[in-house]
Amino acid sequence: MWTRKAVVYVGLGIILVLFSPFINNLQLFLLGTTILGFVAVHSLVNTRPIDIKITRSFDTDQIFENSDVNVDLIIQNKGRPVGFLEIYDNLPSEVEVSNGLNHTIVKLRKDELVINKYLLNCRLRGQFRLGNPRLRIYNPSFLFYYESDIESKSSLVVLPQMEQIEGVDLSTDFPKMYQGAMPIRRIGTSGEFYGIREYFPGDDFKNINWRVFGRTRKLMVNQFEREDISDIMIVLDAREITGTGTVLQNPLNYSCRAAASLVSFFLRSRNRVGLITYGETINVISPDTGERHLYRLLTTLAEIQASGALGLHTILGDLRNFTPRSPVMVISTLENDRTSASALREITARGFKLTVIAPDTLDFDRDSRIISPTVYFTASASLDNKITEARSLGARAMRWNPETVLSTSLAEVIR
Amino acid sequence: MNTNNSLSLMQSIATFSLMSSLGFAYVINPIENSLLFQATDSIVGGLYQREVLESLNKSVVGGLLLGLFIGTLNVFLDMSKKVYDYFLIFVFVISILIFIASIRDYDSFPYVLTQQLFVWFWIGLPISLGITGIWLNRVGNQVASAFLILVMPLGILGNTNDQIYPILAFVLSYMLYLELSYGHVRYSRLARIMHYSKEYETVLQWFLLTLVITLALTIILTSLAFLFHTFLGNFLPYSFSNSIEYNTIYGQALSILVFFMLWAVVQTLFSRGYLARQVED
Repeated sequence: MWTRKAVVYVGLGIILVLFSPFINNLQLFLLGTTILGFVAVHSLVNTRPIDIKITRSFDTDQIFENSDVNVDLIIQNKGRPVGFLEIYDNLPSEVEVSNGLNHTIVKLRKDELVINKYLLNCRLRGQFRLGNPRLRIYNPSFLFYYESDIESKSSLVVLPQMEQIEGVDLSTDFPKMYQGAMPIRRIGTSGEFYGIREYFPGDDFKNINWRVFGRTRKLMVNQFEREDISDIMIVLDAREITGTGTVLQNPLNYSCRAAASLVSFFLRSRNRVGLITYGETINVISPDTGERHLYRLLTTLAEIQASGALGLHTILGDLRNFTPRSPVMVISTLENDRTSASALREITARGFKLTVIAPDTLDFDRDSRIISPTVYFTASASLDNKITEARSLGARAMRWNPETVLSTSLAEVIR
Repeated sequence: MNTNNSLSLMQSIATFSLMSSLGFAYVINPIENSLLFQATDSIVGGLYQREVLESLNKSVVGGLLLGLFIGTLNVFLDMSKKVYDYFLIFVFVISILIFIASIRDYDSFPYVLTQQLFVWFWIGLPISLGITGIWLNRVGNQVASAFLILVMPLGILGNTNDQIYPILAFVLSYMLYLELSYGHVRYSRLARIMHYSKEYETVLQWFLLTLVITLALTIILTSLAFLFHTFLGNFLPYSFSNSIEYNTIYGQALSILVFFMLWAVVQTLFSRGYLARQVED
C-alpha cells in the first residue's frame, strides 16, 4: 500500500520533471528525478514477504476479578530480517493494560525471538477472547506499508472476585451425616474448640471453663465444633434486569461475587455445593465437592451474562431432587419477578432452609443518574416489601449493599 | 546512543540541511534573478515611488541568520502559551506604534532598519517556518517551508550543467531535510507511545542507516536514469534520436519518465507484495 507521502512524492517528482524543461531549470529537473529515484529505491526496502509467528502466554491459570495477569507476547521471526514491524495486540475492552504496552515496534533479525511483556488489569469477570495481533510493516521512510492479522487467538477466563467469609453459620440444623464426616466451622459437640460464651441455666457443667471463672468470676462455657456436612444449593438470578447499571457495577456482577464467596466458603468447609442459574435458560450444576468442582462453579459464574426473563418459580422443579431440609440460598434482586413470592413460599414449604440475598445497587444507580429519584423510591419500596415477605415466610432475607462486606451483612441476619 | 539523542540528532541535521538547501538554492539562482524578489521590488517600488530594495542589503546569509533567529525564538516562545501570547501582543503594539509614528512623520528609529529587517525576514521565511516545523513537529510548516525553498529563488533564466555541483548539493540537502524532518515527526510520535523502549531505539538507528544507504542508492539510480536516455537513443530511429527535441532537456525528461515507468512495470510483475504468512498459534 502506498502512503500519502509516497503519492505526494511521486506527484511532485513527475510535476518537477515535466515542468522544469519549460523554464530550463536543471535544478528542479534533477530534484524531480531524485525524488522518483528515492521512491523507486524505497519500494525495495522492507517490502518482501515476512514470516512471523506470534503466541501469548499468561503467568497464571486462575485470574480473578480486579487482579492483574502478566502477558508475554512472543514474537518469533521465521523469515527474512524485518526492519520496522509494528505489532498491536488486540485486547477486549473489558481488560486494560496497567503496565507495559500491547503496542510495540520491533526490529527483528533472522530467527530472532522477542518477548513483549505487559500487565493486564482484569476489572470484570467473564470469558474474553484476545483477538489476532495486528501487524503493520512500514518501510523506513514511511512510503509503503502493509497491514495484516496473525492468527493467534487466546481465551482468558476472569473468575469472580471472592471475599473471605469467616465466622458465619450458614448451614442447616439437619446435617447430612456421612461416615467419616469432615468438620465444618460450626458450634457442636466435637473435640475441636470453637469459642466461649456466657453460661445459661441448663448448660452442661462439664463445659464450664473454670480457668476463666477463676480469672473473671463469671461462669463461661466452652463451645466445640460440630462435625457434620450438608448439601447447599445456591440459586442465582441472571435475568436481563440484573444487568442494569454500569458494566462494572450491576446486580449480576455483585451476585456472582457473592455466589463465588459463598461457594468457596462452603467447599472449604467440605460441604457439597450446587448452583442453579436462571435468566434466559436454567443451568443446573449438581452438588459436589472438591477443588475441581470449585473451579467448575467459578467458571460458570464467570461466564454468566444477564439475559432473559424467566421467573424464580422455574427453578422449583430442579429443587425437587435436592436433599430435603438443606439450605437454599437465593441471590436475586427479586425485581420484576411476579413469581418470586409464590416460589419463595414453595421453597420454604418444602422445608428448605432459605436465605435470600438481594444485592442492592439502587443507591448507586440513583447517584449515577441511571434511574430517577421516583424510580428509586418505587424500586426501593418494592424491594423492602419483598424482603419483608420473605422474612414472614421464615427465610433469612437481607438487602445487601455491595459496598459492605458480605460476611458482616450476613452475620446481621443470621444472629 | 539513546532515543532522545537520536531524535535530537535528526532534528539538528534536518535544521542544517534546511539552511544549506536554501543557501544552495540561492547559489544556483541568484536573488537578483528571483521572480518573487523582482515582484516584491516592483510592489514596494510602486508603494514608495522609488527603488527601495536596490538600496538595501540583500545578503542571503543575513536572511538565513534572521530566519534562524525567528524560528528559534518561535520554538522557545511556544514552550509557554502565556509568554507566546504576550509576545505577539507586544509585536503587534510595536508595529502599530511604528505605523502611527510614520503617519505623524515621527521616525523613532531609521526606517531603513525596518525595511532591511523586512527584506531579511522575507529571505529567511522558509528557514523560520522550517525550524518551527522541525522542532515543534508541525508537518504543515515543513511542507510550506519546502515549497518556499523551491519557489522563492525561482527565476526565468534557469540553470545548466555548469552548476551541477551546487545543484547536487542542493538536491542532497533538500532530500535530507524532507526525510529527517518528516521522519522525526513520525518517529517521535511513535517514541512517545513506546516510552523509548530499547527495541524502538534499534528501529530508529535502522532508519538513519537506511536513509544514508538509500540516498546513496538513489544517486546511483538517478545516474542510471540519465544514462538510460543515451541507451534509449540507440534503440530509437535515427531521425528521432538525433532530433533537437530528443537531445535537449525535454527528451531527457521523457526518457526518465519512461525509465521509471518500466521500473514500476517490472516491480509490479515480480513483486509478491507484503504477504505476511499466517502462522497457526
